[in-house]
Amino acid sequence: MSELALNVSKLTMQFGGLKAVSDLDLQISKGSIFGLIGPNGAGKTTVFNMLTGVYQPTLGSIQIFGKSSVGFPPHKIMCFGVARTFQNIRLFKDLSVHKNLLISIDQNPARKKYSLLSSILRTSAYEADLRDKQREVKKLLKIFDLENREFELAKNLPYGDQRRLEILRAMATGAKLLLLDEPAAGLNPNETTKLMTTISHIRDEYGITILLIEHDMKLVMSICERIAVLDYGVKIAEGNAKEIQSNPKVIEAYLGKAKE
Amino acid sequence: MKQYLIWLTALVAIVIVNFGLIPFLPPYYYSILIYSGVNIILAVSLNLVNGFTGQFSIGHAGFMSVGAYLSAYISIMITKDNPDLLANPVTANLIFLVSLIAGGAGSAIIGYFVGLPSLRLRGDYLAIVTLGFGEIIRVMILNIDAIGGARGFTGIPLLSNFLWVYIAVLFTLFFIWRLVNSAHGRTYLSVREDEIAAQSMGVNTTNAKVQAFVIGAFFAGIAGGLFAHFLLYLNPQTFDFNRSFEIIIMVVLGGAGSISGSVVAAIILTVIREALRPIQEITRIDFRMSIYSLFLIILMLNRPNGLFGTKEIFNFMSSKMRRLFLGKEDTAT
Ligand SMILES: Nc1ncnc2c1ncn2[C@@H]1O[C@H](COP(=O)(O)OP(=O)(O)OP(=O)(O)O)[C@@H](O)[C@H]1O
Ligand SMILES: [Mg+2]
Repeated sequence: MSELALNVSKLTMQFGGLKAVSDLDLQISKGSIFGLIGPNGAGKTTVFNMLTGVYQPTLGSIQIFGKSSVGFPPHKIMCFGVARTFQNIRLFKDLSVHKNLLISIDQNPARKKYSLLSSILRTSAYEADLRDKQREVKKLLKIFDLENREFELAKNLPYGDQRRLEILRAMATGAKLLLLDEPAAGLNPNETTKLMTTISHIRDEYGITILLIEHDMKLVMSICERIAVLDYGVKIAEGNAKEIQSNPKVIEAYLGKAKE
Repeated sequence: MKQYLIWLTALVAIVIVNFGLIPFLPPYYYSILIYSGVNIILAVSLNLVNGFTGQFSIGHAGFMSVGAYLSAYISIMITKDNPDLLANPVTANLIFLVSLIAGGAGSAIIGYFVGLPSLRLRGDYLAIVTLGFGEIIRVMILNIDAIGGARGFTGIPLLSNFLWVYIAVLFTLFFIWRLVNSAHGRTYLSVREDEIAAQSMGVNTTNAKVQAFVIGAFFAGIAGGLFAHFLLYLNPQTFDFNRSFEIIIMVVLGGAGSISGSVVAAIILTVIREALRPIQEITRIDFRMSIYSLFLIILMLNRPNGLFGTKEIFNFMSSKMRRLFLGKEDTAT
C-alpha cells in the first residue's frame, strides 16, 4: 500500500530481560497527524529510536514510504524521508541557528552534493547553491517567526524556541515524515496552543506526515486524527480521540485499576 | 574574484617581505620565523581534528615525522646521484614540491589507517590510538637504518625557505578556512556538537571524522617536510610526545575551533620558546615546559575557552572591516 507513510509490524525491542516494546503494529497514512501516547517508560521513545535506526529492533519490520528500513544506519534512514526531534533537545548548541539548519539542508537527499574540490574553490555553481540554501534557511525560520534569531547561538535561544528550531532542523532535511518526541514538553499553555497550530500548518502546507509523542492530552486530542496508546511496551488501544478517551483500558493504564 | 582578494593580498605581502625584508634579517630571527610558520600549519591542522571535529588526537608529531622523513628520503634519493639538480633552482624547487606532496600524502594514508578503526567508535579511543601511534612511529624510525635510525637522518638538502613555508601556511589557511565553511566542514562541526543528532540529520559521522583526520594528517606531513628541509637533520626524539603536546597547547591556547586563534597561539608559543632558550642555557635546566604549564594554567583560569574561543579574529573587527575579508557564508559559528 503506497498510501502509508509508515508501516510497522511485530516490532519488538528487548533490552536484556526487559521487553521495552513488544509486537507493535502501526499503520500511519500519508498526510495524517498520529499521536503515540502512554505512561512514562511505556516504550514510546524506544519506538522512535528503532524507526530512526538508533536501535536495531530485536524483531519485526519497518517500512517507511514503502521501503524496508531495518538494518540501515541512522544517517541512511534519513534518506528514506524521515527525520526526528529529541525528547531532551539535541541541538548543535554552539552553532548559530543558521548553521543548525544549514547542516540539515546540506544533507537533504534531493540536493546536489559538491565535491571537496569545488567547496574549496567555491565554483560559481557551488556559490549559487549556497545562496539557495541560505534562502531556504530564511524560509524555514519564517514558519516559526524566528527570522530575527538567525545568527544567535542555538544555546542562547529561549527553551520554546529551541524546541521549534529542532522541528525546523528536522524539516530542513526534506523529510516527509516527522517524528516529534514531546514537542510541547516545557512549553507554557500559550506556546503549546501556538505549537498546535503550527504542527497542523506544517502538515497542511507541506504535506508532511507527523507522528508525535506527547503527554499534553489537550494537544494530542485536538490535533491527532489517530492515536495509539502504549503501556509496558504493548499497544493497548488505537483510534480517534473520542475512542481513546472512552477506552477503559486506557483509563486503567493512566489512572490505575479501580478497586473492586 | 572578490573572494580571492584577501588571499592574493596576503600572497603579495609574503613575496614583498621575502625580497624586501628577509635578506636583512639576522639568522636567529629568520629561524624563529620559519618555525612559527611550521607551527602554524601544525596547529591549524590539529585544530581541524580537535577543535572543529571535537575528536582528541594526541599524536600530531607522529604525522609530522612521517612527512619529514618521507619527504627527506625522497629528495635525497632523487638528488643523491645528480647533485646538479640542486644547483638549478627550477629543478630544485620542483623536487621539493614533489617530496613535500609525497610526504603529506604518505602521512594522510597512514592517517587513514590509524583513524578509521578508532573513529568508527564513539569515545576516547582516538586519544589512546594516536598516543600509541606517535610512539610506534618513533620506535620504527629508530630502527630503520636507511633513514639514519638512532643516529639521526643527515644529508637533507636545504630547500625550505621563507617563501616556501609561508606560501604553504597561506595554502593551509585558505584550504582549512574554506573547508570548515563548506558543507563538508559543517558535518565536522555537527559531529563535534552532537553525534547522535548529526546522524539523525543524515550526516555520515564516521566519514566526517575520518575525512577531517586524514586532511589534518596531510598538513602535518607538509609541515614535517618544510621542517626537515630547513633543519637538514632529523632525529626521532624531535617528534616525541612533548612535540605533540606542544601542538595541542597551541590549539587549546588559541581556542579550539578558531583558526586565527591557532595562528596567534603558534606564533606566541614559538617566540616564547625561543626567548626562553638563553635562560635555559644559563641555568642548564629546561624550564620551558614548566613555564608553558604555568602560562596555560593562568590562561585557562582567565579564558577557559582559549584566547579566541570559537571566534575568529574577524569577529572582533567592525562589520565594515569584516566584509573586506569575508564572504557572506563565512561565519565563525
Ligand atoms: N538503551 C536502553 N537500555 C536498556 N533499557 C532501556 C534503554 N532505552 C530504554 N530502556 C528502557 O525501556 C523502557 C522504555 O523507555 P522509553 O524511553 O522508550 O519510554 P518512554 O515511553 O519514552 O517514556 P517517557 O514518557 O518517560 O519518555 C524503560 O523502562 C527504559 O528504562
Ligand atoms: Mg520518551
